[in-house]
This record gives sequence, structure tokens and C-alpha cells, in this order.
Amino acid sequence: MRTRDARAGRFPGPSLIPALHAIQREHGWLPHDALVELGRDTHRPLYEIQGLISFYPHFRADGPPPAIEIGVCRDLACWLHPDSTPSEDVAATYAEQPDVSVCSVSCLGRCDVAPAAVVNEQPITIADLDTTVAATRAGALDPASALRPERTWATDPYDPEGEIDSRYRSLRAVLAGTLAAEDLIAELKVSNLRGMGGAGFPTGLKWELVRREGADPKFVICNADESEPGTFKDRQILAELPHLVLEGMLLGMCAVGSEQGTVFIRHEYGPEEQVIRAELARLEAAGLLGTDVLGSGQSLSIDVFVSPGGYILGEETALIECMEGHRGEPRNKPPFPGTHGLWGKPTLMNSVETFAAVPAIAERGSQWWRDQGVGDADGLKFFAVSGHVAKPGVYCVPLGTPLHQLLDLAGGVADNQPLGAVQPGGASSNFLGPESLGVALDFDGVAAAGSMLGSGAVVVMDETTDLLAAATNVLGFFREESCGKCVPCRVGSKKAEAILMEILAAGGGSADVDERIVELEETLRLTSICGLGQVALGPVISVTKLDGARPS
Amino acid sequence: MTLTIDGRSITAAENATIWEAARDAGIDIPVLCHDERYDPVGVCRVCAVDIGQRILAAACIRTVEEGMEVTTSSSQVESQRKMLVRLLMADQPQPDDDPKETTTGDNELLSLARRYDALDHDLPIGDARPVDSSNPVIETNHGACILCDRCVRACDDVQGNDVIGRTGKGYETRIAFDLDAPMGDSSCVSCGECVAACPTGALVNKPITGPLKPREELKPVETVCPYCGVGCALTYHVDESANQIVFAEGRDQPGSQRRLCVKGRYGWDYAMSPQRLTKPLIRREGFYPKGPLSADVRGESRGRRKAGGVVDYDEVMPAFREASWDEALDLVGERLRSIRDEHGPDALAGFGSAKCSNEEAYLFQKLVRAGFGTNNVDHCTRLCHASSVAAMLEGIGSAAVTTTYGDIVNADVAILAGSNTTANHPVASSFFKQARRRGTKLIIIDPREERIAEHADVFCQVKPGTDVAFFNGVLHAVIELGLVDSEYVSANTTGFDELRAVVDAYPPARAAQICGVSEEQIRTVARLWGEAGAGVIYWGMGMSQHTTGTDNCRCLIALCAITGNIGKPGTGLHPLRGQNNVQGASDSGLIPMMYPDYQRVDDPGAQAKFEQAWGQPLSPVPGLTVTEIVSAALTGSVRGLYALGENPFLSDPNINKVRKALSNLDFLVVQDIFLTETAEFADVVLPASSYMEKLGTFTNTDRRVQLGQPVLEPPGEARLDFELIQEIGNRMGLSMTYDSPVEVFDELASLGKSLANLTYDNLGGTGKLYPNDDPEASDGTVVLFDDGFPTEDGKARLVAAEWLPAKELPDDDFPFILNTGRLLEHWHTGSMTRRSYALDAIAPEAHIWINPEDAAALGLADNDFVRVESRRGSVELKARISHRESRGNVFMPFHFREAAANVLTIDEVDPDGMIPEFKFCAVRVQPASNGDQ
Repeated sequence: MRTRDARAGRFPGPSLIPALHAIQREHGWLPHDALVELGRDTHRPLYEIQGLISFYPHFRADGPPPAIEIGVCRDLACWLHPDSTPSEDVAATYAEQPDVSVCSVSCLGRCDVAPAAVVNEQPITIADLDTTVAATRAGALDPASALRPERTWATDPYDPEGEIDSRYRSLRAVLAGTLAAEDLIAELKVSNLRGMGGAGFPTGLKWELVRREGADPKFVICNADESEPGTFKDRQILAELPHLVLEGMLLGMCAVGSEQGTVFIRHEYGPEEQVIRAELARLEAAGLLGTDVLGSGQSLSIDVFVSPGGYILGEETALIECMEGHRGEPRNKPPFPGTHGLWGKPTLMNSVETFAAVPAIAERGSQWWRDQGVGDADGLKFFAVSGHVAKPGVYCVPLGTPLHQLLDLAGGVADNQPLGAVQPGGASSNFLGPESLGVALDFDGVAAAGSMLGSGAVVVMDETTDLLAAATNVLGFFREESCGKCVPCRVGSKKAEAILMEILAAGGGSADVDERIVELEETLRLTSICGLGQVALGPVISVTKLDGARPS
Repeated sequence: MTLTIDGRSITAAENATIWEAARDAGIDIPVLCHDERYDPVGVCRVCAVDIGQRILAAACIRTVEEGMEVTTSSSQVESQRKMLVRLLMADQPQPDDDPKETTTGDNELLSLARRYDALDHDLPIGDARPVDSSNPVIETNHGACILCDRCVRACDDVQGNDVIGRTGKGYETRIAFDLDAPMGDSSCVSCGECVAACPTGALVNKPITGPLKPREELKPVETVCPYCGVGCALTYHVDESANQIVFAEGRDQPGSQRRLCVKGRYGWDYAMSPQRLTKPLIRREGFYPKGPLSADVRGESRGRRKAGGVVDYDEVMPAFREASWDEALDLVGERLRSIRDEHGPDALAGFGSAKCSNEEAYLFQKLVRAGFGTNNVDHCTRLCHASSVAAMLEGIGSAAVTTTYGDIVNADVAILAGSNTTANHPVASSFFKQARRRGTKLIIIDPREERIAEHADVFCQVKPGTDVAFFNGVLHAVIELGLVDSEYVSANTTGFDELRAVVDAYPPARAAQICGVSEEQIRTVARLWGEAGAGVIYWGMGMSQHTTGTDNCRCLIALCAITGNIGKPGTGLHPLRGQNNVQGASDSGLIPMMYPDYQRVDDPGAQAKFEQAWGQPLSPVPGLTVTEIVSAALTGSVRGLYALGENPFLSDPNINKVRKALSNLDFLVVQDIFLTETAEFADVVLPASSYMEKLGTFTNTDRRVQLGQPVLEPPGEARLDFELIQEIGNRMGLSMTYDSPVEVFDELASLGKSLANLTYDNLGGTGKLYPNDDPEASDGTVVLFDDGFPTEDGKARLVAAEWLPAKELPDDDFPFILNTGRLLEHWHTGSMTRRSYALDAIAPEAHIWINPEDAAALGLADNDFVRVESRRGSVELKARISHRESRGNVFMPFHFREAAANVLTIDEVDPDGMIPEFKFCAVRVQPASNGDQ
């Protein structure tokens, strides 16, 4: 089997992304001459630099940044909010203030405070825009810190008040040799823990496959790049349970035989990044990172890689491409990262929530984990609930909990409106109507209802919502975030959006959605390289079915 | 591996893709982004096939698996393909406006659209995307681009030019050059590989002569590029009625593999120049005594001419009158005869050309030797690799390369010494760059940081003229580190102890002091080289064009020999030959001391053999070299000269001396396709045929003998060189009656060993390497000397060299070192390339390259005029400020008549190779008024 895609714009050698970050730090942007000099100094072609700086939204090559830069979220949870303001309207408000520049941005992962915005990389709710702009101008903007309310989570086996010495027990057991890697993997397999990032691949099996690979070195990556509209539960896990995320990773490293771990965190999660870095410093101070940790002979090192931006990097091979310093374009699969991942080496990648579940299973056993589920489902699941609900936020409930119970936890539909529809598993999941309120929130239950558990992002829409417009908004997100590598996604998402916008502009609805959209959905689903394109039109089709089934 | 495709059981190789397995089974799966020349990327998805999974698989990139069941054309699969084509067509120009459909007519997307009935689609049409016309020969139409990445792979993976990539993201993604520069302003070298790769109208050629047409409407002529020694195979598509080449394409051949550079793909229109000579010319009475006719050749133009200008015929033609062929040829015969009779045969000399075929070279030297009666015959090899040839004949008994340029794929380490490969052997450089990406370590040794240096694992920027010190340091370190292959040395070499005794005095610390490369780096090179399983050395004029040129090459031979790096795949010695037939011209005897196949004229056996073959008594005295003939003309000992296709006025060192020498000749006949600078001194000018008009064989740098085919009809009364040599021979009393070059080739092959077994019939479309035991079955021998050397004792002779400084070192008056050479876009004295629309448009004027700090010290800005003076003359031209020059060094190309580098160069020569020191003389550089440009 070929081990990777052709080079095609991917120059061999170390990543230039750190050097680009350094230039941007120095100048505030990327001046042309500095890029030419970088190319010359590193003997790397300019096309490669151009490919990177034009791909990653973090990089700015068209001039110095404005003094105050506002980004207004345009995606579903914010779009649904009654206070949502299009970026053009925000720009009009600040038209008289030349130091302010306004643009629209993709989901910031702050759907719980929708409508969200960002001012000079500081996430806020749009209500605070004026005061934040004023504070920024006055140089008095305090850096945001991660939201860490005083609460406990059922997945944390440790004393919430405890110090580091009382935590990382399973890691210490593995390092001491009292917990064998094989036993840990066996326990994970029995627990039925599945990947919480969206695809639901059995975690124990994944660990076992990577452990079995002979190649050296191996890498472990924590995918903390959740960027799908409505999805922010990993953000809270990072903020509140960093010790579980890191212990899960470290256990993974010991289990598969890796000495190098990376937390790949989205750029917009600055406050949460600080939490992780602080926890890493504690680990280091406690001697749980470094060479020959606790005399075990095992070396353990974890670094933090801040994403230069873009939802597509959540796709595991795009993430790896980014870490290698390339454009974040997903690879053709197979091969999968478990055998040919970072730098072509076996790579274990799990999401934040998956890693964070491992310590509890290691500490309390697989049976305990399985007992947490409802009905046939095993374990616990974090959900991010947003949209038209009274109390948007992150909730951890047993897998298999009926949808209506989760909605009740979140205070029910806002303003006591009747439910219109729910996206139960993030932007790529099919819309479910009110008739599905009883659906059990587990992998099989949601699939049986015609959608998927996905990323655990539950976006609620009340009855007044134009579902076709909502689904078109979701498609717009995918079109915006398409990497452009393959034809169906790059061109198909654009054409489909244009067709739908035309229908909506003419006051049309689901009944006006014609065969072209149906055909496009099939082509995108069957021929796109990665999940983004494969699912981009699914929600639209699901809405036409929901609308079609409704009495007119 | 067994799988099922469309119900058929098929066996495929383990790493085969589904597409390859299907193709081998005769099942066609459509593709757009895929081309077998490139690694697959799987981005267009048109090759989607059903393998029974949730989604379809891209056949071009998905490898086969045991038991896989593939359906290539179900209705579901076909409808996805149709949609993909519809999507692409939605943003395409209409066929009537499509830049490819309306020219060469081979738009692959449109043919798929026809197949899938997708010409008319019902999808929203995208916004117009821009056209980039900034490159003189290539147009970029972003609106026709489907982002298949074929150009990206062609530019970056195949040619290694690293210009094209993707910019932007999502639907806004485009291809871009460098940092999204217009193509014409980017580092693009216009090789056209992207155009050859593009399946749509996104990257298309602009017309150079007549309008571009579909291939079916043109005559394809399979031949070889006329420029450099790489000898790329190509096809010219010819409009016969207009007697015009319309476009050129690379053709598959084991060496060049369809690749071309800017000269090969776009530089062929010189043959159709309106300045082609079409009638014999005789100098008018009023233009004696002879002297230069144009201001440039008089040395009065000071470079202030209009960019891109060639000779103004109005300025020079009044000196000549048209004549009939009989009158002109009779005059040539009569004058040459009378000089011979009056002053003896050695008062005559001939300059042949490495641009001519083996047959022409052979006939020419036969004419001079058997017709004129002298060995005063030479050609431009004297100016390029004569020192390499001298060192190789002395060291290993053969002057030909011991392995091919493509053999670098088998090397662990390659040394590239004194070679601006990307400019002078562009297609060979693409293989070097590719090998490096696949793991071959590349060591570059050069005083100039040229483009190839960007690909180096180790770049040693030696001081000019210190190569022997550097290599002696490396040899010292190889010995010191115990990396000598003692077994090979004792079995296959002589002279190791003497070599060791000399290089003993060059510990890396001392070598470093001389050559300016750090001691560490010298040891790194020694270690990389000595520890490699296979190491190969390629070199260029940077080694040979020194008064120590032969010594430089002796060092290279020693380095290969003491580490056993000769005679195995991926090892050996390869002087990259400059001219398309410099190997063949030398093989054919166009050198003063040797008959064909390097049989010495002073060897009585060889003399007898050729006297018998040619039926004439021959001189046993080695003749004069090019540089010696010029000196002899000056002193009057050479009085008559026949110059075929050579232009010594611009190509030889110290032009002010050459001017006097040429003026001093009693009789000069120039046979050429243009009125060259040298022809201004001629008594008779014979309008010759260009390469494009004749049949003949050409031997490239790899020893590949290839057939050059007639492409065009000669213009006017211009005649084949093959005939003209015979006409002159017959007028000199040497009967020559060859009907065709085939007879000449067979005679040449019969008189030596190298070409044994080769015939026009078995050369085929891609030529054959010599030696070749069985040309019907074999491409020929890649690696020579796996079992001893063609020396007397069968061993390589190691010859040690002491470092000697260049002849004219910089001082307070002349503080800069001048290096001369070529540009990618131009060829030698510019007579061809400055008459090529494309090449002239890209590089219209002369520059001197200078280091930024030196420029700052002189107060120079880019493109300011400077006066450059040496002890021999001065020129004025524009400065180009470049990081590629090191401080104290300047570089000038020698193509430009209005600012001729050879006005400045020194006519000191290497004692063994008699090659001039083109790479080193002292000059001063001063700002000149920018005046009226």
C-alpha cells in the first residue's frame, strides 16, 4: 500500500509554520520581503510559503493588522440567536472608528454565549462588544481566562480538591509496572469506549492496532481542534478536567509505545490552552514528564501545537498534514494514521473527551463505565447544548439518555416555544424533528432515528426557525471551511449553496429544492475525500425530508 | 494479488493501484488529475469506482487488496462522474472560447464532457477568474483551471523548479507562482512542463510562429533538441505549407523522459529567422583591408543598444555582394589552394563545430587532414571540456563519461562541481534534484550560489580558482579518515603513493585557508563521500575553464578512484558536455591531436590506417588548438581559415586580440546560417543549413547517439553542410562523393571501436548508448569500466596536482574577480537564442551580477550601468545585484555582442588542455552614467 499522497505542493523538510508565526509575532503580519528571506534562508520554495499563508486564516499577508479587529461569528448557534447581528451591521456601527475593522468568522466554539464575537483574539459575547472595544483601545483589556465554574464531573475519579500527588494514579501504576499496558487496553476494549470526536471508532481496538505497529517512533495526538458549529464540550473538558485529558494521553503513550505526545488545540481556545500549559508545568514539576519518568525507563514528552486555524484540521489526516507543515488538506485513506500518521509513523489520535474518559475506566474498571450507560448504551457522554434553549452549556449524561431529558437539563426550548428541530450531533448530523424527542442519545439510537451522535453538539431550533435556511447556513459553514482539495467538495458545496441561496432569496422553501441538490448530495457523499464533503449536504436533504413529511 | 474488476478475475502487483490493474486488464477508467508520469493525488475523483464500501474509491490512488471486488462503470458510478464533470464545466470557458480547444484542441475535460453529455449543465456559473499573460510564452487562464495539480507535480516533482503551488482555500483556491506573483515576474524558468501537463486550457502555449493547431493538422517530426549535451528527445509539430515549426513537445527517451527546458520547448524559431543567409556572399573590394563592420564588433557600442537587438544587417551587408554557388566555392577552393601551395599546409586551419553532426564533424576533419594536409583542426570543445578530456584520457584512457546523468538515482552521494546545472543542463538538473528528494545526498562545489545550490545537502562555496586546494583537502581527509578502498586502489590504480605524498601537504586546515571552505565542511564532504556505497561526480566548466583545469579534473578522478567509485551503478565521472554534439565531434576526430575515436595523429599505426582509409598522405604533427590558431593568425603563420558554424569572435578570450587576428587572415571563409560577428571578417560567407534542415547523428553527454531528422526546408539557396564540405574538398583535390550521411556514419563507425554495431537503422527513435554490443536488443552500456580501464596496464592512473593560483589575481587596480558563463535562456554567442522570440523576450540584455554589499560600496542600484574594465578592454552594461555572487566576485554571461564578456577575459590557457581561463580574470567595476539607454 502506498504510504502517503504524492508530494504535490508538500515540500520535504521541517515545518515552516513556526517560522511564519515568528515573523507574524515580530511584524504583526507577514511582509513580502520577510517571506522571501525565509525562503532563501531555509532553501524552501516560495510557493510552499504562499500555500501555507493563504490556507491558514491565522496568517496575514495583506498588511499590518488594524488596531482593533472584530470577528463576528456567522454560524448556526449564533445565527439562531435573536440578538445575532450580521458582520456588515456590526461594521456599520463602527464605521466612524477607523481603528476598528470588522469581518465575519466561522464558529468560535462559544455557542453557549451566542451570539459570539472575538476582539483581538479575545472571545466575548456580542453584548460586550462596545466595552471590549473601548477597553482594547485603552489598553486595559484583561486576557480572558477559561470558564471554570465550581462543579464536579462524573468522569473524574479524583478528588476535585486534590493536588497532583493524588491524581495520575493510573499513570503511576503503569509506570510502576503494576498496571500492564495489555491489561489497560483489554479493559478499554471491554468498556466499549468509543471515540467521542464523531466517528465512534472503538478506542481499545485503536490503541491495540497502534501498539501492534512495529515502526518507530510512534506519536500520540490529542485532537483538541473541535470547531464544528455548536460544539464546545471539549473546550470545557480542557478547561475543567485537563488532568484527565493529559493522563489519558500519557496512558495512551505508554500503551502504544510512544514518547512524544501533542495536544493539537484550536487557535481560538487561548484561555484553555493556558490551562493545559499550566497542567503540563505541574506534570513536569512532579516528574511525570521527561526522560526515565519515575525510574520507569519510559520517556514522556507532551507539547502543545496551536492550530493556525480552520475547521478542516479537525479531520485527523488534515491535522497531521498541518503538523508536518503543509496545507491542511486531508489525505486519501487508507492508509490511516494508526499505521501511517505523523511523519508517516504510527500515530494514535483521540479526541479530548475520549482521552479524558480513560482515567476513570483505568481507575474504576470497565464495568463501572458500562454501568453508567442507560439501556444498551455504555458510559457517559458530554453534550454541548446550544441554540434555542434556556440554559445553553455543557452537560455530561449517561449514554442512552433520551433527547428530551437532555433538553430538560438545558432548561427546555427558550421562551417556551414549541420545538422545531434538533441537530443532535453537530453540524454534519441530520436534523431531527419533534417526533424524535424520545430518541436515546447513543451511537445506535441516533443512527436509527436517521441522524448521528457525531460530536455531541445538540443545536436546538424552535418552531419559528426556517429549517431550510438553517441547513443552508450549515452548508455555508462547510463551503467556507472546505480545503478545496477535491472537486466534489470544493465546487459542489459552492454550487449547492448558490442554488439554495437563490431559492431562499426568492422566498422558496424545501418544496423548491430540486433534483440538482439531491444529485449533488449523492456525489459529495460518495466521492469526497473526507468527511467534510461527504456530509456537507446531508443536513439540507434531511430538512427537505422533515419539511416534506410535515402537513402543509 | 487477485481481485475482481467488473466481474473479471485479475492478478495485479501488490502496490498496483486499481487504475493500473484495470488498465493492464484493458479496462479504461477515466481520469483528469492523474497522469502516469506523476504520483497520484486523487483530487478530481473522476476515477471513482465502487469497491462495495460506504463511499466510492479513487482508482488512481487506491491500492488493490486481495479479494477486492471493483465495479468501474455501474450507473451509480457513471452518474457521479457525470456530476463531477458538470461541476467542472460550470466554471469553464465555453468551448468556442477555450484556449486549448481553439488551439491544439486536446482539452481532456471537454472530451470527458462530450462523453458524459455534460457540455450543457444546469448549475450556477461561477464568477470569471483572471488570465495571466505576463509570461512571454505561456498563458495562464485561471478560469479554465480544474486544480488537478498536474502542473504542480510537473513543476515541483518532475522539473524541481518549485514555482507552482496552490494558494487560497476552498472554492477560492487557485494555482499560484511563488508568493502569488504574475507568472512572468516569478522565478518560473518557462520550461513549459506545466503546459505539457495541463489537461485543460488553464496553461497553454502562446503562438511563436504561426497559429497553434491540432496535432492532426501538422506533421510530427521526431528528433532531438539542438541545444545542450543533454540531448533531449522531442517532436516538432510542423506546418509544412508554411515551412514552420508550430510547437515542440518532449518525447520519451530513457534519458530525458519527455522533459524539456525553455530552450528546447520554445527556442527553435531561430531557424526561421528573416536574418537567415540565403545566398553566398563575397566581400566587396571596397571593404579591404578587412576589419570589423559593425559598431559592436569594432567595440564602439558601449552596450547602449536597444535591448534584444541582434546584428543590424543594414550595417554589415553593404560590405558583401551576392554570388553564385560556383563563383563562391571556386573562390574558396582557389584561395585555400594558393595559401597551401605558397605557405604550406600548416598555413591553413579549420574550425569545425560541436553544433554539427558526427557526419559533418568527421567530413570536416577529413577535409582538413586529407584535403588541406594539416592537423590544424579544432572546435569549441577547446573552450569547454578540453581539460576534462586531457585528464580523463591520461587517467582512465577514455574521455567519455563513465556513467549517465540519470544514473544518479543509484547514487548515495553525488558531487556537482563547477556546474550551474539548472541553467546549462536544465533537464539533467531535474534528475539531480529529483534524486536528492529521493535520498541521494547532493554536494555542490561552486563559487557562485546558483539555483542548484538551494538543493544542496552540503554547499561548499569555494573561492574562485582554489579547486585543487579544496579537493586535495578532501582527498587528504578521505585518507586520514581511513575511507580509502584499498582493495580497489591496489587492484585498479597506479600512483596512489605519489598522490598521498602530495595531498599529505593539504590537511583540511590548510586547504580551508586557501579555498575559504571550513575545515569541518571539507571533512564532512570527505566523510559523506568516503562512506557512501555509491558516489558519482558531475562537473562543468567551473572545473575545466581554468589554467589549472586539467589539475582540477585529475583531483576528481583521484577522488572517485581511491574510493572505488567507478564501474558500479551510481558511481563514476561525468563531465556534463555543453554542446549537443561536443561528445560526438570529439569522437569524430574534430581535435588537432587525434583522428576519430581518439587515435593519435602522432601514432604511426594510426597514421597509416587513416592514410589507407582516406587515400592521402597525412601529417604526423599534432595540429594547433583553437586558441593557438588565433595566435598563429596574429603572427601570420596561419593565413587561411575555414570556420564552419563557429563564432570565435565572441567565444574566444580577449576579443581585442581575436579582432586583430581575424583581420590579419589572408583568407577567411565562414559557413554559417547567420552573418555572425566572425563573418564580418570573412572574404566569403557560405549560407549553410541549420540543424533543423538536415539528417545526422548527434552524441549526447551520456554517449547516446541519436538521429536528428530534417524538420524544415533550407531557406533560399542555403545548402547542406554535408554537401559544402565535399564541394570544398573536391576543389582542394580530395575526392568526396558521399550521397548521404548514412555512408559517412558507416565509414566513421568502421574506423573506430566506440560506434561499433551502431547503424542508422538500429538507432531507432530514441538513439542508443555506446558501447553497444547488441543495439537491436539493448539501449547500450550505462556504466563503463566495471572491469579495468582502456589504459596500457588496464589501471587508472592517479595524478596528483599541486594547487596553483589563477594567472591574473585581483589587485588594487583591478579588485574584482570576473567569472563568465551562460544563462539559462541563451546559448553561447547568442546567434541562435537572440533570434528566438521567447528567449530574447525573457532575457533581452546583458547584465553583470554583483554581490549586494559590493554594489552598495560602489553606490549601485539594480539596473544601473557600470563600466567593467580589465587589462585587455572594457565594456558597459547593467548591474544585477544578486545574493548569488560572493563578495569580490562578479559574473557576466558571454552571449551579448554589445557587451561581450570576452573583451575582458584573459587568453592564458591550461598547459595540458589548452583551454582558456574563462572563469578567472581581474577587473574593476565602476558606475557609468545611465545616459540615454
